[in-house]
Amino acid sequence: MTAVTKPSASTNFFIRLQNVSAPIRWMFVAAAGMLALTFVAQFGKGDPGLLTSSSASGAMIRWAAPILLAGLGGLFSERAGVVNIGLEGMMILGTWGAAWGGINYGPWWALVIAASFGALGGLLHAIATVSFGVDHIISGVAINILAPGVTRYLSDQIFTGYKGGSVSQSPGAGHFSRFNVPFLSGGDSLLGWKSPNTLGWIDKKNWFFVSDVSALIRGMFVQISWFTVIAYLLVPISGFVLWRTRFGLRVRISGERPSAGESLGVNIYYHKYMAVIISGAFSGLAGAFIVLELTGFYRQGQTTSRGYIGLAALIFGNWRPGGVLMGALVFGYPFGLALRDLGGDATQNLLLVIAIALGVVLIWAVRRRKRADSLLAGGLGGIILIWYVLSTSAPKWLPNTMPYVMVLLTLIFLSQHLRMPADDGRIYRKGET
Amino acid sequence: MRKRLVLLFGILASFTLVAAACGNSGSTTAATTTTVATTSTTAAPNPNADFNVGLTFDIGGKGDQSFNDSAAAGVDKAVADFGVTQTDVEPNADGSDRAQILQLQAEQSNIVLAIGFLFADDVANVAADNPKVPFAVIDDPMLNFDTKPPSPRGDNIAGLTFAEEQGSFLVGVAAALTTKTKEVGFLGGVSGFGLIEKFQAGYEAGVKAVDPSIKVVSQYITQFPDFDGFISPDRGKEIAAAMFDGGADIVYAAAGSSGGGMFQAAKEYRDANGTTVWGIGVDSDQYNTVDPSVQDTVLTSMIKHVDVAVYQAIKSVLDGTFAPGQTVYDLSVDGVGYSTSGDFLSADTIAQIEKFKAQIIDGTIVVPTVPT
Repeated sequence: MTAVTKPSASTNFFIRLQNVSAPIRWMFVAAAGMLALTFVAQFGKGDPGLLTSSSASGAMIRWAAPILLAGLGGLFSERAGVVNIGLEGMMILGTWGAAWGGINYGPWWALVIAASFGALGGLLHAIATVSFGVDHIISGVAINILAPGVTRYLSDQIFTGYKGGSVSQSPGAGHFSRFNVPFLSGGDSLLGWKSPNTLGWIDKKNWFFVSDVSALIRGMFVQISWFTVIAYLLVPISGFVLWRTRFGLRVRISGERPSAGESLGVNIYYHKYMAVIISGAFSGLAGAFIVLELTGFYRQGQTTSRGYIGLAALIFGNWRPGGVLMGALVFGYPFGLALRDLGGDATQNLLLVIAIALGVVLIWAVRRRKRADSLLAGGLGGIILIWYVLSTSAPKWLPNTMPYVMVLLTLIFLSQHLRMPADDGRIYRKGET
Repeated sequence: MRKRLVLLFGILASFTLVAAACGNSGSTTAATTTTVATTSTTAAPNPNADFNVGLTFDIGGKGDQSFNDSAAAGVDKAVADFGVTQTDVEPNADGSDRAQILQLQAEQSNIVLAIGFLFADDVANVAADNPKVPFAVIDDPMLNFDTKPPSPRGDNIAGLTFAEEQGSFLVGVAAALTTKTKEVGFLGGVSGFGLIEKFQAGYEAGVKAVDPSIKVVSQYITQFPDFDGFISPDRGKEIAAAMFDGGADIVYAAAGSSGGGMFQAAKEYRDANGTTVWGIGVDSDQYNTVDPSVQDTVLTSMIKHVDVAVYQAIKSVLDGTFAPGQTVYDLSVDGVGYSTSGDFLSADTIAQIEKFKAQIIDGTIVVPTVPT
């Protein structure tokens, strides 16, 4: 512990890291994460090459997208001060809408209809919470209970009449055509011309780190659809709308100090309504992503609580779009990886990655002289490291548990840095001070 | 004018009432109508008109185009053949009212059919409270393994189980004879409670019986007690896609509705790579139930004749031969089998499968129930 007493470059480094702008900070964290993955993929037990393969990052992009969309939905709603635990229910409405739209009018209309279905759920939540002052959690839970019932009723009315459909399932809903991004990942022939596969070429060179990173990046651009592109573009768009437009400023004041906003003439109710409806539309898109990109059809219960994981990503990401993206990727990665990991080695080596991450937290906590945090990070990291060394395979429940564990760890170590909108979750009445 | 309006309202109101009344009677006696129909054709008094079958699905069961609908088909056949009536119910979303709906069924039925092993403990309790009503549980032996030999968990409880490993063995043979890459996959829904492992063990044994050099990759979606693995077609699709990417060209899914994702994966892999890969269905002939666009990826299906078991159970109560304890439906009584819809299996393959089938029935081959 003597090393702690003298200030060093890395102390400044951590402090400096907190002062740079969010995109650069997140890029740095992502690069550090990739370095840890590369290290483990190279030196881990068994055959963990999958960790830095394009197949793993492709799965991450797919499995993170619904979490991301739900998280962005939560971002809009909570920035306006309305806690939206009904994301799950709105997602379910979206899955049904996407399937129905996809079957009858094709994938683009499926998006529109899914977003509208989700927005309807959002409207209901807004009416209950904003106009009638119902407790946000109660209204949200009610929507989560209502949505599966509504979709089952609709399926009974409509899908049972389709061939291959039933009360709990729709026939194939179709999907967008998929493509590889030209130049980066060897795009498909454009006008009879074959694009070079730059990243794939670097990947094959087997240069330490460089090849791993290019494989990971390549996977993000292979067999994607326009829907995937839209989903990820919504991150900067959300950031722009919320932080760079008049509308966004007014939405945020509704979540921070609504009475102050009202005194300046902002229509708080209107902005809360809009934000919650947008939130519902995003959740509907999250449901549509599951139907159109992941499954191919509607199936009762197929959201499997991803709306709640989206909320977790929102908290992990400190109510900011970049943070939500990072949270979604961090949760989506182990999930997609575990599905792709037929041998089981990669999932087990994930334990080592977690141990390394906790090691970094330990250094950070020691530098900042946070005794409790250091003990916790050191203890947990040590236990996981011992577990990794002694075990031969990781438990299969690990990837499913990861989002919750990550959020708990984030809350433990970063709770002082997390700042939710000041008026989030409170019931606001016009004219109150 | 006003008088006329009042009259119009009166007529409208009475219409609504009549319509409502019709609606009500229609829904409560939906099952009985079938009985009336059969009685009228046979023109004899129906002796079983007040015999009711209490068909109890599990969460989201009805309409799964597989296991549960197969049970419903068996009951429908009994309704048609014996003129009995049926009432079907399904528990609430979290399954917390399983015991109550079983009790409800016990009060209004002459036999209670519980579709799925998740009912096992609730049936044991409710059956003890209703000793006069016979209960049958699908997929659980309903035996008390603490005694030696194991004894039925109640004198009015039957457990109807299937030799899934035998049927899986046959589709394993089909996979081994069809694969070109010498690698096949197994996609399980939920591991850790013993049922799906039977499918895996039989399938692997079937593949190895044809050619021990063929590689079988096996993966489960979730672990007991997380039953999401049966309702996650997205995860099923990702795993199946990983298997196809890894070089397998046939995947057998024993994963409930998650198997639908496997057929989607097979279809997309075909579209993207131009090579022929296959999926193998489970429980019912999935060629007939999947979406038409993926129909040509269903090589065959391992069929579990839940309809036969259900029908036999109803029949046994009607003719007084109901036997408590476990009844196993295996190949010898056609309790399990495979399908040939779509004609994707060659005549040669079918001949080979039939040869193995005969050997299993006569006991030359004993199919393992635990994966090695």
